[in-house]
Amino acid sequence: MKDGPLVTLALAMLNVAVALLLSPLAEGVMRKLKAIVHSRTGPPLTQPYLDLLKLLGKEDLRTTGGLPYTLAPALALGSVLLLATLVPLGTAPPMGFAGDLIVLIYVAATSAVALILTAFASGSPYAAVGGSREMMMLLTVEPVLAIALVVGAVKSGTLSTGGILAWNAEHGPTISMAIAAVALFLALQAQAGKLPFDIPEAEQELMGGPLIEQSGPRLALFRWSLWAKQLVFAVLLVQVFVPWPHVGILAADVVLTLIKALVVLVLVGVIDVVNPRLRIEQAMGYYMRVALSALSALAFAVIGM
Amino acid sequence: MASVQGVAAQVADAVARRIGRDLRVVSQGPVDTLRLDVAPKALRSATEELVQQRARFLVTVGIDTRSLSADFRILHLFSLDSAHLFVVLECAADANDPHVDSITSVIPGANWSEREYRDAIGVTPDGHPDPRRLLLADDWPEGVFPLRRDFPYDYKPPSVEGVAPRLKEPPEGASVLPIGPFFPVLEEPSYWRLFVEGETVVGCDYRGFYNHRGIEKLGDSVLTYNEIPYLAERICGICGFIHSTCYCQAVEKAAGIEVPRRARYIRTIMLELERIHSHLLWLGIAGHILGFDTVLMQTWRMREPVMWLAEEISGNRKTYGMNTIGGLRRDLPAAVIPKILEVLDEVERESIAVRNAIIGDTTLLARTKSVGILTNEWARQVCVVGPPARGSGVPIDARLDHPYAAYDELPPRLCTQEAGDTWSRVVVRVDELLDSIRQVRDALARLPDGEVLTEVKDEIPPHRIGISVVEAPRGEAVHFVMTGDDNRPYRWRVRAPTYPNLQAMPAMIDHAAIADVPITLGSLDPCFSCTERVEAIDVNTRAVRVYSHKELMAMSRRRGQGGGRR
Repeated sequence: MKDGPLVTLALAMLNVAVALLLSPLAEGVMRKLKAIVHSRTGPPLTQPYLDLLKLLGKEDLRTTGGLPYTLAPALALGSVLLLATLVPLGTAPPMGFAGDLIVLIYVAATSAVALILTAFASGSPYAAVGGSREMMMLLTVEPVLAIALVVGAVKSGTLSTGGILAWNAEHGPTISMAIAAVALFLALQAQAGKLPFDIPEAEQELMGGPLIEQSGPRLALFRWSLWAKQLVFAVLLVQVFVPWPHVGILAADVVLTLIKALVVLVLVGVIDVVNPRLRIEQAMGYYMRVALSALSALAFAVIGM
Repeated sequence: MASVQGVAAQVADAVARRIGRDLRVVSQGPVDTLRLDVAPKALRSATEELVQQRARFLVTVGIDTRSLSADFRILHLFSLDSAHLFVVLECAADANDPHVDSITSVIPGANWSEREYRDAIGVTPDGHPDPRRLLLADDWPEGVFPLRRDFPYDYKPPSVEGVAPRLKEPPEGASVLPIGPFFPVLEEPSYWRLFVEGETVVGCDYRGFYNHRGIEKLGDSVLTYNEIPYLAERICGICGFIHSTCYCQAVEKAAGIEVPRRARYIRTIMLELERIHSHLLWLGIAGHILGFDTVLMQTWRMREPVMWLAEEISGNRKTYGMNTIGGLRRDLPAAVIPKILEVLDEVERESIAVRNAIIGDTTLLARTKSVGILTNEWARQVCVVGPPARGSGVPIDARLDHPYAAYDELPPRLCTQEAGDTWSRVVVRVDELLDSIRQVRDALARLPDGEVLTEVKDEIPPHRIGISVVEAPRGEAVHFVMTGDDNRPYRWRVRAPTYPNLQAMPAMIDHAAIADVPITLGSLDPCFSCTERVEAIDVNTRAVRVYSHKELMAMSRRRGQGGGRR
């Protein structure tokens, strides 16, 4: 990277701060949106912050011990924050390097893995069913993310996220990138755990699934990681695949990106509120079709469209 | 009525041919009720004959008649729907060693009924396939039967720690996923013990009756005829008027009381208003079970004006307190009629919008089509009623089969579907919702003038029976009354529609995905109740303050003041 270590650190801190501090606000906006469609007044926009504060202040109750179980909430949130430093926000990703794309794909899956670990460790039958659903979702949604990013890599001829961003900003929209963007957007619905894909948590069937035995600070960290994850993914989507207009002034680009990400999350919220929940095998079939369609983007990319 | 008596004679003949002299007495209760008294050993073959005559099993009533005829009596109630006829198949059981043959092998739907009379009056159904406890608490002592007449209504057996229901164990390789006794989508306590392999349900067991309130016991030991309607109304938080109507009709039938035509019309209007708000409520819950909260919020918003109508008419959103033996305590005020019509227009417009939205929703279709299939054959065998029956192509509707209130003059449309899946039950209910709106309009347009109450001056003669059915939103409710002395029934038996419908559930979720279990259960229609108003009492001054709907809404929206903080 061209910047010195201090600048890199500052940018990384910025990304982490955005993921941590703005994600509850984005969640609040989505809740408000839901309430409006429901003809409700809804909670104030700041409600997710208050939820976190309340949960963090509660007693830490655990159903079981063991290192994986104990560390899972921290692992979930930590991995999302690490992901945030690998995602470009207004400029190239602060912790980016040649080949960071591969790392990003792995890190993106880590918080889900932490959730699955918790589910199987917590010893509740609902959590076990929820955990296996989470695993099935991960196995079908993750390929969509990978294919979309590989399309970008093929197109721009680089394995770094920043490289794709730069190439895209310079060359303008292409068919393959557009298809990949749509695929990533569809994957975002499941990554954010929103309807019709909140199948692992399915309150009416599994009472929260993997999270059923989580409460207090542990639940707060899981919730926070989920909210941060949806914001980071929205940022990834709009930065890598829709980077225009790229002003070149960091502050303006950051603000622009966040606005675009919020628009994406509002769309996710709209889909959430007008859909019932799918069954797990219906959702898997859906994402397999999305993944196959996304492969066509790869074909377009190879022939240079 | 000639045809009713003709069919009654035919049925009696057929049973007589089958069991010969074991058919001891043929008599008539009220005009639509045929009573067949058979010898205990012929009970099963008489049942087989009735099933061949296409009689539909309703419920069994066990009566402790030791003070009358030194025996227990078991009454199996049947309905010949097309002939508008009830058939009572009864037999005696020895007072000292009470046994009768079980008929569950002939009619699977008699399963719970037979377990219930065993629990309640201590007559053993011989050859019952599943003789476990149904009704009584797990720590209730053996050999104590609460519906025997020498059992005091206020007796409380000592509670015992560490008892558990006798539940089935999962088959090998399957694990247990409990749904209940308390679960987010179960509004009332009931315990479904699911046996699952991965995501597939391979079996289940059920334990219910956690909320048994001893209502029937109070009816024949404490309350009087005219007090019972208010208790009957509290059987259900949604279809209260249905139960009070059904009880009143049973007594009116037994005693031969004619209800004024205007009262019958107003009963019809209230019953249909209840169906409208109940079906809207159900649609919302079904949406919620599938995670589709937008449907929940919107249908419950649409439903609210119907509740306000009920309040305007009766003074209460629920438990109207309007029914009494012989008619109504309160007339329908003329001023409210334009308001009803106005609300109906609005509900109809919005219901059609919801229907169109639902029908076009592919995700919703994916979650309900071919889900929780109840086959026509099984629906008939378990004697399922209401929308679940009609959704499986069983054309029964108490309003048509045994016209009561004003339904002889205002027949409803029979809404049926053939597929038997959850989607069919959704369609049936939405059709019925719209038809109910039409019916209230028709009833209002033709509402006759006159009295709303026939005063009952004479004493109600004892030891007569009356069977009454009412088509509740969930299906047919049955009330049986045997009149008694002391101005109260000798026996009052209530069968709510969920009683037969729940028995169909295990077959409906067999080899289903776990995700489909809540909506399948929900498609049989759960119950819900909520309050709108709060009465607050200042403990220091004893001042009572009633908060209005608006005030409560404003308070709940004001930040930092909710949750009872002051």
